[in-house]
Amino acid sequence: MTTAQTLLEAKELSKTFTTPEGKPFTVLDGINLTLREGEIVALLGRSGSGKSTLLRCLSGLIRPSAGEVRYRGQEVPGPMPGMAMVFQSFALFPWLSVQQNVELGLEAMGIPAPERRQRALEALELIGLDGFEKAFPKELSGGMRQRVGFARALVTRPEVLFMDEPFSALDVLTAETLREELLEIWHAQRMPLKAILLVTHNIEEAVLLAHRILVLSSNPGRIRAEVPVPLDHPRDREDPAFQGLVEQVYRILTAKPALEPPQEPIGIGYRLPKAPIEGLVSLLERVAEGPDFGREDLPRLAEEMRLEVDDLFPLLDAAELLGLAVLQEGDIRLSAEGLRFIQANPEGRRQILAERLLLHVPLLAHIHRVLHTRPSGQAPEERFLRELEDYMSAEDAEGVLAIATDWGRYAGLFEYDYNRGVLMREPVPG
Amino acid sequence: MRRLFPSPEALRRRAPFSRWDLLVIPGVLALLALLTLALEGATAPYAPTSPDLTVSLDPVHLPYYGLRSLFRMLAALLLSLLFTFTYATAAAKLPRAEKVLIPLLDFLQSLPILGFLTATTGIFLGLFRGSLFGLEAASIFAIFTSQVWNMAFSFYTSLRTVPKELQEAAAMLRLSSWQRFWKLEVPFAMPGLVWNAMMSVSGGWFFVVASEVISVVGRERDQYLPGVGAYVALAIERADFRAMLYAGLTLFVLVLLYDQLLFRPVVAWAEKFKFEQSAPEETAQSWVLTLLQRARLTRRIARLPQPLWEWLWRQSARKNRPGAALEPPPRLRSRTRRADLAFNLAVMLGALGLLGVLLGYLFGPGLGFGGGQMLQPNPNLNPAFSPAIARRFAGLGIRPDPDQAVWLSRLCAATQGGTVLEEGLKMLLREPGVKAPPDLKQACQKPLAPEGRVAWPEALEVLRLGLFTALRVTLVVLLATLFWLPLGVYIGLRPRLARFVQPLAQFGAAFPANLLFPLFVVAIVHFRLNPEVWVSPLMVLGAQWYILFNAVAGAAAIPNDLKEAARLYGLRGGLAWRRLLLPAMFPALVTGGITASGGTWNASIVAEVVRWGDTTLVATGLGAYIARWSTGAFNPHVGLGMLAMGLLVLAYNRLLWRPLYRLAEERFRLD
Ligand SMILES: Nc1ncnc2c1ncn2[C@@H]1O[C@H](COP(=O)(O)OP(=O)(O)O)[C@@H](O)[C@H]1O
Ligand SMILES: [Mg+2]
Repeated sequence: MTTAQTLLEAKELSKTFTTPEGKPFTVLDGINLTLREGEIVALLGRSGSGKSTLLRCLSGLIRPSAGEVRYRGQEVPGPMPGMAMVFQSFALFPWLSVQQNVELGLEAMGIPAPERRQRALEALELIGLDGFEKAFPKELSGGMRQRVGFARALVTRPEVLFMDEPFSALDVLTAETLREELLEIWHAQRMPLKAILLVTHNIEEAVLLAHRILVLSSNPGRIRAEVPVPLDHPRDREDPAFQGLVEQVYRILTAKPALEPPQEPIGIGYRLPKAPIEGLVSLLERVAEGPDFGREDLPRLAEEMRLEVDDLFPLLDAAELLGLAVLQEGDIRLSAEGLRFIQANPEGRRQILAERLLLHVPLLAHIHRVLHTRPSGQAPEERFLRELEDYMSAEDAEGVLAIATDWGRYAGLFEYDYNRGVLMREPVPG
Repeated sequence: MRRLFPSPEALRRRAPFSRWDLLVIPGVLALLALLTLALEGATAPYAPTSPDLTVSLDPVHLPYYGLRSLFRMLAALLLSLLFTFTYATAAAKLPRAEKVLIPLLDFLQSLPILGFLTATTGIFLGLFRGSLFGLEAASIFAIFTSQVWNMAFSFYTSLRTVPKELQEAAAMLRLSSWQRFWKLEVPFAMPGLVWNAMMSVSGGWFFVVASEVISVVGRERDQYLPGVGAYVALAIERADFRAMLYAGLTLFVLVLLYDQLLFRPVVAWAEKFKFEQSAPEETAQSWVLTLLQRARLTRRIARLPQPLWEWLWRQSARKNRPGAALEPPPRLRSRTRRADLAFNLAVMLGALGLLGVLLGYLFGPGLGFGGGQMLQPNPNLNPAFSPAIARRFAGLGIRPDPDQAVWLSRLCAATQGGTVLEEGLKMLLREPGVKAPPDLKQACQKPLAPEGRVAWPEALEVLRLGLFTALRVTLVVLLATLFWLPLGVYIGLRPRLARFVQPLAQFGAAFPANLLFPLFVVAIVHFRLNPEVWVSPLMVLGAQWYILFNAVAGAAAIPNDLKEAARLYGLRGGLAWRRLLLPAMFPALVTGGITASGGTWNASIVAEVVRWGDTTLVATGLGAYIARWSTGAFNPHVGLGMLAMGLLVLAYNRLLWRPLYRLAEERFRLD
């Protein structure tokens, strides 16, 4: 394996976007990675850690702000011949039939029509779509659509296949089938396919498919760890080695990065985790009621509550941010405050939460202060959005304010009038 | 898995024609013949000695007139498409072009359409000297301007809103720009473009009727182009009710034909371009499309350009070259910033230069000032541009302009500042058609603007007229909304009824409302109503339908669960309106309102001056001002009127509609 040729390489890659206020914010920082022939690599990280951005930089869709990407030793100015991508949302052209969609990549290669048709039909057959050539994407189920997505990518006989959460829009069974089929194609060697780079936020998926897992940290995205998966395909979820690896990845994801000082005070521009308050409450309740009384293994919690990493980690982050729980070694443990919160009645919970929020979340303390210093007791949400946009993109700012509003309302810190987009101290009249 | 058995279609011997061709082949031939006939008429010779009146009220000619009008419409539509594809694409793709092209489009869109007719007639007559096609082109151009702007806007917006995922897919597949344009951008823009083209053509019928009678410099009478619009104009001039009925019938058939033969098929075909993830329950159908798809001849014809297309396609392919990233490399950015600055500067200087030229044209060399004083209006004493009156002035030694205008300054010059008037002149000045200032001596003492130019006080007056028109527009659109909204809701909440009413409303929008104007004239005269007030409804006569069918569409689009919830909570009456219907329909209402007010502004030129036989009703307003000054040649007064209306509409849209639109986008979206 070590002697295998390098296909794709990123050196000191970083990517910076600008906020609406014109300030730069760094999404990816100092990324080094290589993709070698014969391997499947999974990029794993929390939502917003920059996985998709990294994938797009590597595939030439967007240009890194610094550093370089090389494909077979050549710099990548844009998508290269030999690259193909499968998208989470399928990205099929709804006005083209299945066959026309699949032929599209061949058209860009300048292949004559009869050969296009021939190769498209072969690809459709390979992926189990024969008989559907004439159908339009909207007539197909999600699983079938993603098959078309695969066929469209594979028909160009790529060497590198990029996949951005290809299975996360599918139901569990379909996703499992498609994963197996992907591995079959990979092992059948019918294609010149040499490497796959898979973005996912599903830890089990990464352990099922990849030879190597790269774990990305958030804000800015850096490669935090590399986990080799020395298991043969097909892998068994019940295998202790498999479960050990899953556990290991959970640990990495919950560990505090050693590099940064852990107690770094957070400011107004802190990206609050996307954790709806009901989700947080039911998570805490579940941990408190669990068999281990206030302590729970994360993989088990995720499975029981049917939460994917993308949903689970924001909840964990929020619990930790508010000091209601502690994460350790892939486990979650309720803190004393957390226990007090769970045992309180609704009114008590409100008060505890309000206290915690004002103490630990500067944004909420700020909103609270503004509303209390204004004689009207109101402020338009735009005001706070503008402030947040100093630190992040407009989209992210909206997301963060939405979460802050959700928490603040639950804790009774303020009210929110959706129709006017106004935050106010007093409840909405009428 | 290869198929073992060929499908039954492959076994059947293919005749070159199917039975559908029995219908399609004669149809295609007939279309070709009609096209030739129309072209022949449109390119007939035209000389200063050609007769003015090439139209007769005999209904046997109506089919031919209909053909000619239809031809103009079609030509305008083709031109609009051509313009849309080039202009909007340039605006969306060329770096920085958008900063100039889009505001320009916005401004052009707010200019009154019939102003373009006056502005371009001379140009086209010069371009096609000796051929009737000069006039024909002026008429086509006016119709074109009524259709093109919102098509271009729609296409531009679509180009800018192609979903990111599809852009990424296209980039990843390394499609060339040419391939991306035809496989991604055009298909994505198609539903919006078709819808807007349909709306535009609906509005276009109004202007077909209004633009077939053209005044030309050097001709005493207006020139009539063979067409239904000219027929209508003649019928109005002669106060011939029966002819109006025939014309109405013809237009009815024309709109129907256009709808069935062109738009239904196109709409049905464009269904497949809708960007939606699940199959809709029902789709638009068209018998013509079905026919065309089944006939073999048309499919053969459609396949003829295939090799050329395929060749172009493969030529444009990237083959083994890398594709283009979705954003430029960071290196280029600082260079871009400097170029941006230079570009902005150039645009600003250009705009200032243009403004200077424009003001010079309107006000003359001194820009409205002379000898340190502000110049005063130099009115036309012959406001109706009557040749008879102009001749009498000429007989008394006061030379009129070629377009029959008689400027006050000439009278002053001929009478030594209004002091020496001979008896004949005094009598002439007292004629009803002549508009002389009451105190001639005093009027002549003031410094007058150069002949034909405007003066600043007149610009103020025009603005005042514009406010009158704005008031009318606002009131009638409001009234029309109050009238149609409840009806639209009633219909929209009943899907079966809505399906029946929607095409009727669309038909109503297409049917040119100017045909009904005479009815109002007769009624206003008969009941001795105040024309200032009662011509206003005419302005909204054609545009009201947009309010209706947007209201229907809005109500029909209210999600079922919302309706259920409202029913569950017993929401009824005023509360249901405030809590459910109005918020849910707000976006549709705003869209309808924007379209309707645009149409109303445009109609004001025709609606503020209405005729029936010898009766002419005039209402004070900017539309009437422009109409009065629309003689054969473009002149500073028409220019001022158009400019004022353009600016007013722009301000109206910015100050009123845009905030509402934004509100609709942000707060009241249902998804
Ligand atoms: N084009 C863009 N402009 C501004 N910010 C962006 C852009 N693309 C991504 N981001 C930001 O970069 C961060 C990482 O996004 P993404 O790569 O999509 O994360 P992931 O795929 O890991 O969920 C997010 O905060 C996102 O808002
Ligand atoms: Mg992503």
